[in-house]
Amino acid sequence: MSKKLRQIAIYGKGGIGKSTTTQNLTAGLVEQGKHVLVVGCDPKADSTRLLLGGLHQKTVLDTIRDNKTEIQLSDLEKVGFKGVRCVESGGPEPGVGCAGRGIITSISMLEQLGAYTEDLDYVFYDVLGDVVCGGFAMPIREGKAKEIYIVASGEMMALYAANNICKGIAKYAQHGEVRLGGIICNSRNVDNELDLLRAFTKELNTQLIQFVPRNNIVQQAEIRKKTVIEFEPKSSQANVYRELAKNIDENELFTIPTPMTQDRLEQILIDYGMMEKDYQI
Amino acid sequence: MSESTIKRKKSNSISDPRYACAVGASHTVVGIKGAVPIANCSPGCQLKQTAFLTFENGFQGSIYAGAGNMPSANSTENDIVFGGIKTLDQLIKSTLKVFDGDLYVVLTGCVGGLIGDDVSTLVRNYRDLGYPIVSVDTAGFKGNNLFGHEEVVNAIVDQFVGDYKGERKKGLVNLWFETPYYNQNWRGDYQEIARILRGAGFEVNVLFGPENNGVVDWLRIPEAQFNLVISPWVGVRNAEHLEQKYGQPFLHIPEIPIGAEATAAFIRKVVEFAGIDKEQSEKFIKEENQIYYYYLEHFSEFFAEYWFGMPSEFAITADSAYTLAYTKFLVDQIGLIPRKAIISDDPPQKFRKGIEDAFHNISEGVDVEVEFEEDGYLIEKSIKEVKFSSGKPLILASSWEINIANEKNALLFEITPPSSETLIINRSFVGYKGALNLLEKIYSASVGGK
Repeated sequence: MSKKLRQIAIYGKGGIGKSTTTQNLTAGLVEQGKHVLVVGCDPKADSTRLLLGGLHQKTVLDTIRDNKTEIQLSDLEKVGFKGVRCVESGGPEPGVGCAGRGIITSISMLEQLGAYTEDLDYVFYDVLGDVVCGGFAMPIREGKAKEIYIVASGEMMALYAANNICKGIAKYAQHGEVRLGGIICNSRNVDNELDLLRAFTKELNTQLIQFVPRNNIVQQAEIRKKTVIEFEPKSSQANVYRELAKNIDENELFTIPTPMTQDRLEQILIDYGMMEKDYQI
Repeated sequence: MSESTIKRKKSNSISDPRYACAVGASHTVVGIKGAVPIANCSPGCQLKQTAFLTFENGFQGSIYAGAGNMPSANSTENDIVFGGIKTLDQLIKSTLKVFDGDLYVVLTGCVGGLIGDDVSTLVRNYRDLGYPIVSVDTAGFKGNNLFGHEEVVNAIVDQFVGDYKGERKKGLVNLWFETPYYNQNWRGDYQEIARILRGAGFEVNVLFGPENNGVVDWLRIPEAQFNLVISPWVGVRNAEHLEQKYGQPFLHIPEIPIGAEATAAFIRKVVEFAGIDKEQSEKFIKEENQIYYYYLEHFSEFFAEYWFGMPSEFAITADSAYTLAYTKFLVDQIGLIPRKAIISDDPPQKFRKGIEDAFHNISEGVDVEVEFEEDGYLIEKSIKEVKFSSGKPLILASSWEINIANEKNALLFEITPPSSETLIINRSFVGYKGALNLLEKIYSASVGGK
């Protein structure tokens, strides 16, 4: 029986730790012997730095920019930690061109080049924080990623962004197979964060798939261009990411999210002590 | 999509289009002698504009940097993802080498408009080096070619003509009239109106067409005593802009005059506004009347005797300017019965009431309920509903109306794009001379039965 490729997109507010979480989770999966491809969908092209031990030097769009006619998959793909395959979509310089269209172009090119080989267990799309236009929704359109995980924290704007992303997922879920697999809490040590996230995910008709506590070891590993699993494999934080990898690997709860109104979101925040009663977003 | 969205009363799509898109205003540039359009858009954009505005519109042809000679960025995916400035920069450099232009106009279409390319800074850098070059945002999603035309005019005024502190010359008038190429008789019409204004004692600054002297005329714009806009709406925005910029007054006359009566009234209105000597204009009117009625007297014999198979009713659909002008002449001077008038150039809302009023007072005792419709399907449907009473009706429209004209056993007379069964070199149906040409055209069709 052939393996079923799971294509997963990771979304979340900008700066929430999507890339860090994705790479650590990926490290957990490859440790288990899984075959994983990570596609960075951020013009900054820094989604695979920890897996590769440095920035990916040749993005998909770089090759298109150079008008290179004979492009091979090997030109674009680099192999990192324990065999994980990494590509970066890349993009235009800030303030010029259309990065959204760039994502569409590069994902199409990866498909044409046959990047999604049969031996793969997982493809992860690490998408730029704010899904500002159709291009950044590309990974969940046209039958690509069917699973989505959102990285959030107990901070108001992170939840606000997560709720907004769910609106997008709900829209695409109506006509496609895309489903929400859960919320990953990347803790910011906000009061009552776990309870708040549990209430939030329940309201969204999904699950809190992992609570990742705040730990400085993540930053220490990052500065050395490594995932925590590679940097301190025996640390408790490494085990948290291994647990996340296991939870995702074994996850069977995929839902169409039920995004809430602004009022309802604020009410949840008030109920869990985040906001004073007279404060409005 | 919600049910209410699906059940919209009116479709938001347009079939059988009757206008081009904003980037088609490249043809406004081609209308100025020595001016070179630089099309900053995708491959095919300008081909379509040229095909629609010049080819399938009386096969007018083009000159200099027009039609197939037009420099185009032919923007592709790379320009979208990484920005199209580099490609445009190369195109401008090449254009400056190949075309010895007096003015270059960069028209940015949908690609640059959508991704927000900073074209104006690039073009300003060239201007700072001394090149006569301007940039215009003419993304197709912003409007049609008439919107684009007004944008181009304002851009040239602001970025090329510039500030002016000198005197204004009495009797010098800037002529803002038909849209080059789009109004298929524009070349002949400009000549006839310029002839009439000169005859009435004006010095006419002709900004487009055969009598335009190139960009020197554009540089003279601020010197003119006033701006004359002859159009229901196109060009009013430009005149308002000039008023604001140079304190230059303008006279807006919605109806293009056709025939002796309307043209005399037109001349008197302009002369009155300008406050120039009436002696010459009255002398001119008298001379023109003598010639006009000399011919008309001959025509009246045919008109009175040859009564069988002559059209007595008509339907018309075209842009605001031609629809109003031709309807007025046919109703007021020939006595034809207007059964349907449909305006297809999407005039801005603020002008619609004025246009409707002009049709309400089109002739003594005749009130025409004008319709505004851009969609060819609905235009055809509307004409289909007309029950012409007898004889062979006349339909003044585009080639899209060939089928409905056959169905109604009508004479089709092409007056608006697309016009694929008409060849136009120098033709005019306005003023004194044009009115007689219009009569020839209509009644030749009648006696020929086609």
